[in-house]
Amino acid sequence: MSATIGIRPTKSFLMEIKRRIGYIERGTEFLKLKRDHLAKELTASIEVLKGRRSLLLENLKVAYRAVTASYISLGPTEVRSQVSSIKTGLELEVLPRSVMGVRYPFIKVAKEPQIAGELDITLSEAAEKVLAILDDIIQLAEFEARAERIADELGKTNRKVNALENTIIPSYRQVIKFIEDKLDEESLEELVRMKLIGGTLGRQRE
Amino acid sequence: MSPDLSYVVVRSHALMADLLTPEQIRTLAEQESLDGFVERLANTPYGRISIEAEGEISIALEKVFYQKFIERMMAIVDLAPKNIGDFLQSYYYLRFEVVNLKRIVRGKFSGLPTTQIVESLIPMTPYSVESYEDLASTETYDDTVRRLKRTPYESLIDSLELSEKYDAIWPVEIVLNHLYASAVFKSLEPLPQRDRTLVRRIVQAEADVENFLVAAKQRGARERTHNPEEMFPATYGIGLDILRETIEVDDIRLVIRKLDWPYIEILAPLYTGDVALIRSRLRQHICSVARRGRAANDFGFNVVMAYLVFSEIEKDNLVGIGWGITQGITSEDILKYLAIPHFE
Repeated sequence: MSATIGIRPTKSFLMEIKRRIGYIERGTEFLKLKRDHLAKELTASIEVLKGRRSLLLENLKVAYRAVTASYISLGPTEVRSQVSSIKTGLELEVLPRSVMGVRYPFIKVAKEPQIAGELDITLSEAAEKVLAILDDIIQLAEFEARAERIADELGKTNRKVNALENTIIPSYRQVIKFIEDKLDEESLEELVRMKLIGGTLGRQRE
Repeated sequence: MSPDLSYVVVRSHALMADLLTPEQIRTLAEQESLDGFVERLANTPYGRISIEAEGEISIALEKVFYQKFIERMMAIVDLAPKNIGDFLQSYYYLRFEVVNLKRIVRGKFSGLPTTQIVESLIPMTPYSVESYEDLASTETYDDTVRRLKRTPYESLIDSLELSEKYDAIWPVEIVLNHLYASAVFKSLEPLPQRDRTLVRRIVQAEADVENFLVAAKQRGARERTHNPEEMFPATYGIGLDILRETIEVDDIRLVIRKLDWPYIEILAPLYTGDVALIRSRLRQHICSVARRGRAANDFGFNVVMAYLVFSEIEKDNLVGIGWGITQGITSEDILKYLAIPHFE
């Protein structure tokens, strides 16, 4: 009811509203297509994520066990001291990428740490195990961020489609119906008025 | 046996009762929280320990256990006859000083702030250098090493060339290891022949295993091809030929199988890649050497040495347990890498 308050029940406005609803319906169709595509992307990403995560967890456990063993064997201060002697640390570059207009970070390893030479063999073995899965960790983080952003965008698109389908389009239809009814009413009134005038003029002629 | 020695031997026997039993160590490792660990430790001769509120708890705990060990060692040094006292000082103080010098050198090499370097040091008074703070506050890594001129570590200056050549600090660390081992063997000279055997066995095993591990590590970095003579200025039970073969051979098991006992047993974890277990096995071996030495002569220097060996291993165990508990590591994982001495 509120959608019809202040509406001008004119033919030109009706045509304008009909044009607008045409755009909105086409836009809704596009959004539905985007939603379906994002949903497909998300389902596929989750499947890949599950597989990669379980594989990485196993390797992470092995690497974490090696790091733990180094700490227990050498003591925390010695581990820190040895690690501090590594001159070239890990350097990452974060670049933007996009899928269906959804931006997500793409991480590139710019420089790998040079662990050879300065670390005790216990720590060096642990560091190698961590370095071996570094690419997997980065890829997984990237994939998680991608899936998270796709899910976020999917939620937004879904809310937009629902709002358009359930609120905006029905309210426009209501307005169209209101204007059409008004115009029909007006044309009927006009017809009755014309007939009355016609009848009066006919009687005067007689 | 001199009256001084007999007193310190009796005292060491008595102090042995203050060491934690294997059961107590296991109970401490099984604690799920740091509060539980401190509470359990309060019921041992360590009493209630106070930890610095600032900084990381595991690092603060490590400092506490180092201080406790140094106190125990000093209590023995104060009572011991001069020759034994001198030896113990150079054995332990020199070892800790070498660790501190390595930490200073590493810190300077990577450009750490002086405060951070000083915080990482073992809490002790300098032994052969004037001040650790002075060394840590020099401008460059090069200056730090050069400041060791006119100290027993003077020969480190020669290793700077090699260090510069490889842009690494391992040449300095290797010379420090060598200096330590030579100083310990030299300080053994005033001791009677029968007392030297135990220390020789311990120091040799430590040096041999460290050399072997350095050689094993080089296997993965053949492109840099360091000269084995430069890397191993001193070898003991495991000779230079074996170390060279270790670097060159494809299957390290072939070299380990050729080694004598105890190395064949200590180095066996290299087969599975669990390298941390090697140090735990080395500590266990040192424990058994000390235990056998004490069994062979229960009224002499061996008892003093055994007490200090067990004390030091206890310190390492407590540091490992403290760190493990703060990180939420399971007791099985902690105990796997500890060497629990059976000293009764």
